[in-house]
Amino acid sequence: MRRLLRSPTALAGGVILAAMILAAVAAPLLATADPVKPSFARRLQSPRLLGGASAAVLGTDNLGRDILARLLHGGRVSLGLAAAAVALAAAAGVTIGLAAGVVGGRLDDLVMRLADVQLAFPVIMLAIAIVAVVGTSAVALVGVLALSGWVLYARTVRATVLTIRQLEYVEAARTLGAGDLRVVARHILPNTLAPILVIVSSQFATMVLLESGLSFLGLGVQPPQPSWGAMLAEGRDYLSNAWWLATIPGLAISLVVLGANLLGDGLRDVLDPRRGA
Amino acid sequence: MFVVLRVIPGDPAKMLLPEGAPQSAVDELNRHLGLREPLWVQYGIFLRSVARGDFGQSFQYRSPALRVVVERVPATIQLATTAMLLTVLAGVSLGVVAAVRAGTAWDYAGTVLAVLGQSLPNFWLGIMLILLFGVTLRWLPTSGFQGWTYLVLPSVTLAAFPTALVARLTRSSLLEILGQEYIRTGRAKGLGERAVVLRHALKNATIPLLTVLGLQIGTLLGGAVITESIFAWPGMGKLVVDAIFFRDFPVVQTILILSATIFVVINLVVDLLYTVLDPRIRYG
Amino acid sequence: MGIPHLSRRQFVAGGAAALTAAAAGPRPAAAQARRGEIIAGLSERMLTLDPANHYSISSTSVLRHVYDPLVDVTNDDKFVPALAESWRATSNTAWRFTLRRGVSFHDGTPFTADSVVFTLKRVRDNTKLIKSFVYQDIEDVQKDGDYAVTVTTKRPFGSLPAHLTMLGMLPPGAGANEDAFFTKPVGSGPFRFVSWTHGDHVELAANPKYWKAGIPKVDKLTVRFIPELSTRVSALRAGEIHVIDRVWPDMVQTLRATPGVKVLDTPAIEAQRWHFQLARDSVKDPRVRKAVSLAIDRNVIIKDLLLGYARPVVCPVPPGLLGHTNLGQKPYDPEKARQLLKQAGATNLTLDFVLMKDLYPKQLEIAQAVAAMLGDVGIKVNIRNLEIATAREQRTAGNYDLFFSGWAQMPHDPDWYFGQWFTKAGAEKLTRFSDPRVEQLIAEGRVPDPKVRQQKYEEIDRLLWEDEPEIWPYYTVAIYAISDKLRNFEARRDYYVLLHEVGIA
Repeated sequence: MRRLLRSPTALAGGVILAAMILAAVAAPLLATADPVKPSFARRLQSPRLLGGASAAVLGTDNLGRDILARLLHGGRVSLGLAAAAVALAAAAGVTIGLAAGVVGGRLDDLVMRLADVQLAFPVIMLAIAIVAVVGTSAVALVGVLALSGWVLYARTVRATVLTIRQLEYVEAARTLGAGDLRVVARHILPNTLAPILVIVSSQFATMVLLESGLSFLGLGVQPPQPSWGAMLAEGRDYLSNAWWLATIPGLAISLVVLGANLLGDGLRDVLDPRRGA
Repeated sequence: MFVVLRVIPGDPAKMLLPEGAPQSAVDELNRHLGLREPLWVQYGIFLRSVARGDFGQSFQYRSPALRVVVERVPATIQLATTAMLLTVLAGVSLGVVAAVRAGTAWDYAGTVLAVLGQSLPNFWLGIMLILLFGVTLRWLPTSGFQGWTYLVLPSVTLAAFPTALVARLTRSSLLEILGQEYIRTGRAKGLGERAVVLRHALKNATIPLLTVLGLQIGTLLGGAVITESIFAWPGMGKLVVDAIFFRDFPVVQTILILSATIFVVINLVVDLLYTVLDPRIRYG
Repeated sequence: MGIPHLSRRQFVAGGAAALTAAAAGPRPAAAQARRGEIIAGLSERMLTLDPANHYSISSTSVLRHVYDPLVDVTNDDKFVPALAESWRATSNTAWRFTLRRGVSFHDGTPFTADSVVFTLKRVRDNTKLIKSFVYQDIEDVQKDGDYAVTVTTKRPFGSLPAHLTMLGMLPPGAGANEDAFFTKPVGSGPFRFVSWTHGDHVELAANPKYWKAGIPKVDKLTVRFIPELSTRVSALRAGEIHVIDRVWPDMVQTLRATPGVKVLDTPAIEAQRWHFQLARDSVKDPRVRKAVSLAIDRNVIIKDLLLGYARPVVCPVPPGLLGHTNLGQKPYDPEKARQLLKQAGATNLTLDFVLMKDLYPKQLEIAQAVAAMLGDVGIKVNIRNLEIATAREQRTAGNYDLFFSGWAQMPHDPDWYFGQWFTKAGAEKLTRFSDPRVEQLIAEGRVPDPKVRQQKYEEIDRLLWEDEPEIWPYYTVAIYAISDKLRNFEARRDYYVLLHEVGIA
């Protein structure tokens, strides 16, 4: 933890991310306007922040709803889903990667073929198929997102396992009679922790982007529930006359991605065992 | 895949016929399309036809599915290759610059740009580019597929995300490598900075780069969907999505088979290159 | 970075040339001479070149340039002669068409009764064709000399002429090898087919021997398919195309502000309709349906969401068509709605409102607005924005309470609308509507006599207005935008984009 503080990038990223998450969590306190109820008289008002006449700091959308309110509440949805998806993908991916690397042989081949096959399917198609069968629920969405992400963990962990297996101290431990599980826990896992953390932080960003992409296509969160992707979709038709509808959630997404990436970069710099103190 | 397509709710005949068509017409059309047979019969017919090279007739276009798909290939290839070229050129250069000037304002600017490239929605960029370059400045055509000028905006839009990704990856790989022992030795030997960077560092950075590039091809094809929609670019991405929405099974099947094949081939190539470049990683 | 420089130079050079040309004096009047090229940008891709194998408004209007039908329909819904000079019903089950002489197809084949017999029999017999189901009632098609045809039907088929406005006539030779024919089709229309790049554009060239003098007014017509509205608008604003269809109300201001662009709009013959699933307990009770109808403030939708580009509904059949009559607007009365709901014992009602994704302009917004309005009277609404294919499956299965749909009267005749949605057989896999009185009237309204039909349809209108198996919130307005270089463009109420009489400056 202390090492974390030494990296300015990680710090910057962490701060940004924390700020966004806090804001989203505190949404009901920060935004008094109703994010869901339409108000036709106040449609498409430009943000007060930029000199618009309305009372809404970030303006109103096509149904007259306050954009700041929608941004914050939508943030809860988008960030929450992304977090859940990352957790699921990491858990699944690490387990599978470990199993493939440690056990090797046929399991390894099977897993790698599976990964290849799955990667050949564009996420969008998978999403359409799954949603068509299961419907659009938060669970389905998290599932689809996780499905698109586990491979990276699996591959990285597996690669690490393969390299480490050959390192001498592991061979030594093995000859000393340490069981497989012990080897895994003691030697392999800690070495995978660093790259996993890095992947987690950058994948968080990817998940947010994916969720917004899926909601954008209508496969994610259903209206009138706001989510950043849904806001993007709704704002798309107004880019030439009310650009703030889509740009504001876009910027929010960018900020989260920036924060997550900075954090990831910083983490990687700090946790890389090859870099000296 | 075959089964999944037919199991998903959605009736191709219904999609082709107008909303108010009587059920009898729907049934009749389904019969013609061969969709009333039991699943295993359909599958058998499908396999036999594919073996002969016949991928069936597109439900939407009433034309051989293979022809419909192949028609879109040139457009897709043009867009994908241009975007890929842009990605490699711009991404790698940006990454190198950022790595070489790590910690400076250039680096941070680069990071911000990369993040923007990764997170700004595809369609936002596309529409904004059209508005700026097509409508306001009138420097470039807004949409369509008629000459090389039409390629500019769509490929820039499509390349934004992968470029950002590649730039960041290049930067981090380079940084990692530049800090390593043998590079320091090279420097000590008095080799010029540029030689160091280009010859040794980049060569070693290409491994993870290749993996990512291989994976990016999938992203390119997928992200191309939105880009193609916006720029009215007659490529395969839009074809796939339209075909899925229309439940045009033959076209979807054809595309899946084709793209799966391509993907496997590309990944095989990447894997091979991988083993060639880094003798440490051998299977088994 | 040579790209901008080159274009800018070209642009400036082009601009200079234009100025010089303008300064050279007014252009000579090009009354009957054919010149120029029009490029249209349409929202819907064309899927086939066979007039009998599609049911799309957009394809109908594109193919109309290549093929002529027997009957045309004007923008005020009158049926006028095209390849048929006149027609009349010789009995309740027979129509006689007298054909135009001196017409030939693009390849020189003369147009005769053989063509009509072939086209009609083909669409009836080949049940793989999309339009086939419409013509199943045709008993026989007999030629009466070379320029007259009698069509006999199994049941009265009063709407036959209307349907025929959408069916282009094919040369009899097409039957020899249909696949080959449709790769380079030949019709008798104002334009000849040149090429079709699937999903991208169609190229047509003028037919110099068209049977109507002075038509077409341009040498070349290219139709591009640009489904994305903002791109379509941008292309028009950038001067790359000359006409676009399906413009949304929010774009109007931007377009009006663009120099060189004109926006035209006209009330369309399309009614948005939200139909109830009548088999479901939640909406079976007519009081509940009436309450829903009373709770919706249609004027707010028209004024605020559609920016005035919609019209209040006074009849299920839009004005101008056979069967229209003014029944007054539906009231907005949320208080009464609440009372009705209480009477019907429906206090904790939840309704599933299914939408077909991206099909109608602003449908998601409107649905959300409606959900809020219904929420005000105590009804909770779940909006389910489904993919079109999935949504239609759900409709067949009956898994919805309210379904967001619309009906553009194509052909310009309500027989199909009533026959499909308001007969027991037709609605069985849809809304489960069943009312024997309506059923009887629909059957009686199929006869050719327009006076009888009008009377029957008016009764149907009244019955439906009272029973409210559907909500008709507004008639849509068709908005087009054109370059001001076009001459004589007519904004059509049926969403067709017809360019044979349009010239370009």
